[in-house]
Amino acid sequence: MASSTVVSQSATSRSTWPRGLLLLGRLALGFVFLYAAYAKLHFDGAWHLSDYHFFFAMMIDSYHILPFWGVQGMAHLLPWFELALGALLISGLALRWIGAATSGLLAVFIGAMVRAKLLGLEINCGCFGNNEKLGALTILRDSSLLVLALAVTVGAFFLARRKTSPST
Amino acid sequence: MKRSFKKQLAMLIVVVALIAGYGISALAQSKIVSSPAPNVNPSERKSLGSKSAPITIEVFSDFQCPACRNFYETTLKLVIDNYVNTGKVYLVHRDFPLDMHPFSRQAARFANAAAELGQFESVERALFDHQDTWSPTGKIDEALASTIPAAELKKIHEIESQHATEINASIERDRTMGIQRNVNQTPTIYVTAHGKTEPLPGGGVDYRLLKQYLDYLLRQ
Repeated sequence: MASSTVVSQSATSRSTWPRGLLLLGRLALGFVFLYAAYAKLHFDGAWHLSDYHFFFAMMIDSYHILPFWGVQGMAHLLPWFELALGALLISGLALRWIGAATSGLLAVFIGAMVRAKLLGLEINCGCFGNNEKLGALTILRDSSLLVLALAVTVGAFFLARRKTSPST
Repeated sequence: MKRSFKKQLAMLIVVVALIAGYGISALAQSKIVSSPAPNVNPSERKSLGSKSAPITIEVFSDFQCPACRNFYETTLKLVIDNYVNTGKVYLVHRDFPLDMHPFSRQAARFANAAAELGQFESVERALFDHQDTWSPTGKIDEALASTIPAAELKKIHEIESQHATEINASIERDRTMGIQRNVNQTPTIYVTAHGKTEPLPGGGVDYRLLKQYLDYLLRQ
């Protein structure tokens, strides 16, 4: 009787720690994305809800990747997309797909940054507000976020599979 | 004997008078040379447009910096044509020579001297237009010879040497202002409208995007 309790307790703790890690991971990532959106909408001590896109468009354009219409569209939408991703990560809703979308977005960001560095562009990152210069540290930071996003995605898929698989 | 004494005295008076006259005139001339520049704010001499324009754009710039040249050629020229010359924008040049560019201070001194003669706009244009030519050697005169007449170049250099202290102080004032405002790259652009100053992302801005922002500010 006693031994069966011990076994069940250890099984429970073994099954809760991946969930705990996943919760921590998605919360951390979620708040980072919320902050990234906030920094694009609130800077120089004020909210810029009506003109944030002008500044952000100039930032995106400095990467010399997108055409003019692409720069405009991305400047309007990206902060709200980041806000939505952050909120969804924190809520845990559709975590597999949200994790995958987050990983994809971070991979795109890193690709753009590495390209800018290779081209020798002296520009700002545009990740968290206007005044952060693009450098090795910003690429490293986004890479570590990508690792976290991938871990959350894989963890979410793994846990979902375990939940749906028939118990033996 | 008496006559020769009188003659010697007269000659002495003439010599003293000549020396005194020469001395006074030299002193007066030196006073003219070292007189301070006319009482106009140096930044105003390096500015284009009307001070009462609804928008002010300040550009912290380095004449030897390629990004500044690119920003000037592709964006500022159009801003000058479409916004400064139409009274919508007051454009202020601020010197921010970077240590990594060996001839940027020399170019800034030259442009500041030209500003004292009211020729900042044409010299700024010439410096950026011919940056590729003078940038490797620092031979500004040679590079600008096709654009600015030799007599004008000479005049600018005269002002540069006569007002060296004021010119250096003006450049340093701009630089200090930039450092206080966290300028860490060139060009760095500030836009002031409706009593609010906003920094634009560093490194230059595409004209179409700046135009959209300026039009938005003018509509406000």
